[in-house]
Amino acid sequence: MVEFDLTSSQQRISEFIGQFATHVVRPISLEADRAHRIPDVFLERLTAMRGSMSMGEIPQEYGGEGAGAGDVKDPKEEKRGPTQKNRSAMVAAEAMAWGDIGVLMSLPGPGLGGPPVQFMGTPEQKARFFGILQKPGLHWAAYGLTEPGAGSDVSGIRTSCRRDGDHWVLNGRKCFITNGARADWVVIFATTDPALGRAGHRAFVVEKGTPGFSVGKIEEKMGLRSSETAELVLEDCRVPHENLLGGDDHYTGKEGFMGAMKTFDSSRPMVGALGLGIARAAYEYARDFVRQNYLLSRPLPRYTQIAATLADDKRLLEAARLMCFRAAWMADEGIPNAKEASMAKAYAARVAMKICTDAVQLLGAHGLEQHQFVEKWYRDIKVFDIFEGTGQIQRIVIAKRILREMPTF
Amino acid sequence: MISFALDQEQELIQSTVREFARAEVRPRLRAWEKAREVEVGARRKFHELGLALVDVPEALGGGGASALTAALVHEELAWGDAGAAVALWTPSLAAAALVELGGPEQARRWIAKLDGAESFGALAWSEKGGPIAGFSTVAERNGDGWTLHGKKCFVTNGANAHVTVVLAQIAGERDGWDGVGAFVVGAGAAGMRAGDRHATLGLESVHASEVILEGVHVPDEDRLRVEDFPAALRRLLERASLLTAARQVGLARAAYEVALDYTQDRKAFGKPVAHFQSIAFTLADMLMDVESARWMVWRAAVALEGKTRSPLIAAAAVHANEAAWRVADNAVQLLGGAGYCQDFPVEKWLRDTKTLALVGPPSELSQLHVASHELGHTVGEELPSGALQPMLT
Repeated sequence: MVEFDLTSSQQRISEFIGQFATHVVRPISLEADRAHRIPDVFLERLTAMRGSMSMGEIPQEYGGEGAGAGDVKDPKEEKRGPTQKNRSAMVAAEAMAWGDIGVLMSLPGPGLGGPPVQFMGTPEQKARFFGILQKPGLHWAAYGLTEPGAGSDVSGIRTSCRRDGDHWVLNGRKCFITNGARADWVVIFATTDPALGRAGHRAFVVEKGTPGFSVGKIEEKMGLRSSETAELVLEDCRVPHENLLGGDDHYTGKEGFMGAMKTFDSSRPMVGALGLGIARAAYEYARDFVRQNYLLSRPLPRYTQIAATLADDKRLLEAARLMCFRAAWMADEGIPNAKEASMAKAYAARVAMKICTDAVQLLGAHGLEQHQFVEKWYRDIKVFDIFEGTGQIQRIVIAKRILREMPTF
Repeated sequence: MISFALDQEQELIQSTVREFARAEVRPRLRAWEKAREVEVGARRKFHELGLALVDVPEALGGGGASALTAALVHEELAWGDAGAAVALWTPSLAAAALVELGGPEQARRWIAKLDGAESFGALAWSEKGGPIAGFSTVAERNGDGWTLHGKKCFVTNGANAHVTVVLAQIAGERDGWDGVGAFVVGAGAAGMRAGDRHATLGLESVHASEVILEGVHVPDEDRLRVEDFPAALRRLLERASLLTAARQVGLARAAYEVALDYTQDRKAFGKPVAHFQSIAFTLADMLMDVESARWMVWRAAVALEGKTRSPLIAAAAVHANEAAWRVADNAVQLLGGAGYCQDFPVEKWLRDTKTLALVGPPSELSQLHVASHELGHTVGEELPSGALQPMLT
């Protein structure tokens, strides 16, 4: 049956995180943006709460507590029957991003590093690496795929890996790595030989402090300023063979590369939902500003025009959320959703951009002021059309799935 | 729970209408356009499917299905031909008007007359130069009944309806929506005649005309009465919005599919034109428009059944109008010169989508409805109207 009500548990998630976002996260949002950092003491308080407050999921069998805001599912699990997991994760993601996207991205936890370990790792590796993240204190993991010369075209990575006894020697540079500098470990994708394409790819877990592994520059960005984005440098970095994800057996087929792609497929509707969280925040802020400031002081025809902009934004927000829910529902039902996930992400990003832009416009010059949140959200939202697959890459994914023959672009 | 799973009955109805649209409607789209009508054979076949009154409550003589099921029917019909989706549905908005504006006895009595392939209904709403709130057509008390005077326009089936629901201002009551009444006029009533048939931009197979009322007598039992009349008018407009939006989705899906096929068959510079990114990305955007509009329609259909007023129906109407226009325009563009010529249907669909957008409340009115809900106070005129443009019913 077609229905659109949240389950009672999803309502609780939404309300709980909504309260938390309002009273705990929002108050530090602007200051953290200015300081380019979320205070550790704040993150420690969140970590003490745990539960739904981790970024990414540590699987329960490895001591984790279940769904987090950057939740992804195990493809093996979906065969067991429908779940609510992706829909619930979407609800949580939107509510958290409504508070502050920088806080969300800075939350301790496996982040995007979790899925490759979960999907590709051996039981021993999962126990070891997820174990590190559960020691006392703040612990992050990260995901190192993008390089200065290869972003969307993942097959073009040049970071090299060479077997040397019971170690591998890695050389190369990774960039735009979220939480890269403070991560306890980073999943690094490298190639044995660029000429081999996907077959040459290997994924390693590189631990902080490994000789030859260092942090390059920390990026200064348009938005997401409180989230750490780092460059990582590998110079004759010796990684033990037991850190090759999945072991040798895993790389007889094309899995090395596919592991990277799986991470993206499962996370795309969530990324859309994150963008919509920011968009909803901007929409509500502008709507309330209009209601409080313009109603009695403007001639009706001009007020009507502003009201029509708000009506457009409300409708697009709903439409984009439905696109994300549709993709998440398919994932929960075990229906392949690569096309729908890409549509959801591409559509939500575009809608969210428009809404944040309109919010600045509707506030007039107030929208430019740095103590008004919309100025920050306008900067934050742009990245949603870029990271985890640009809008253009999403359209390539969609096109490849609607055309009869594989295009050559 | 959030779910996009149709139930078995909905899937069955959807596939039945899809097959009907494929076999009976799409092949005759140009013929009906030229004839300016849907041929009677197709109307009979559609009536045999038993879907004409699908969303009318069972107690009133209908199929008792949900608004979502009705939306599925009209998406599929409009995939065949948007004009046919309006013209084939012979009860027209008259059925919805009887359900929403009438008491159970009134509705049952008149809806029975709409249950036939050759029985047509009409809703006489718009007027040229009428007031923004209410109507210039007047109903005067006359003994135990009413006398109607006025001129209506843009009335589907206006010339051949067996049942016409006429909206009029009650003489002596307040101007505007509070003083409006609805009256049912049967076929052949003295003083009612059809005026000129409108020649339209698109949806040529829909017979829309003026309806002229010169001293038409209506017994009091045929004045439709319902507790909260303005609220009922709003719901009627919402039903009209929902069906139009569903048809826009069907039209958009059809246009997307034609463009998807054509751009893969057509070769330029040594490869199918769809294998150029500018074309492929446009196709991806078209699919996003189609799907986002469909989910908005589904969401709106569920909201329409809900207890509380929702801005989502109006939002879906605007969304579907915009999405379908963009998809139809892109389809003509991707087909190029071929798209502009009548060998392909997309030029018709680009005309049809704009015509369809004026069947039921125009987008500007729906926008204000959403904005009023969101801002917590009325923006512009209070609904049901506030629209400056007349609409086709």
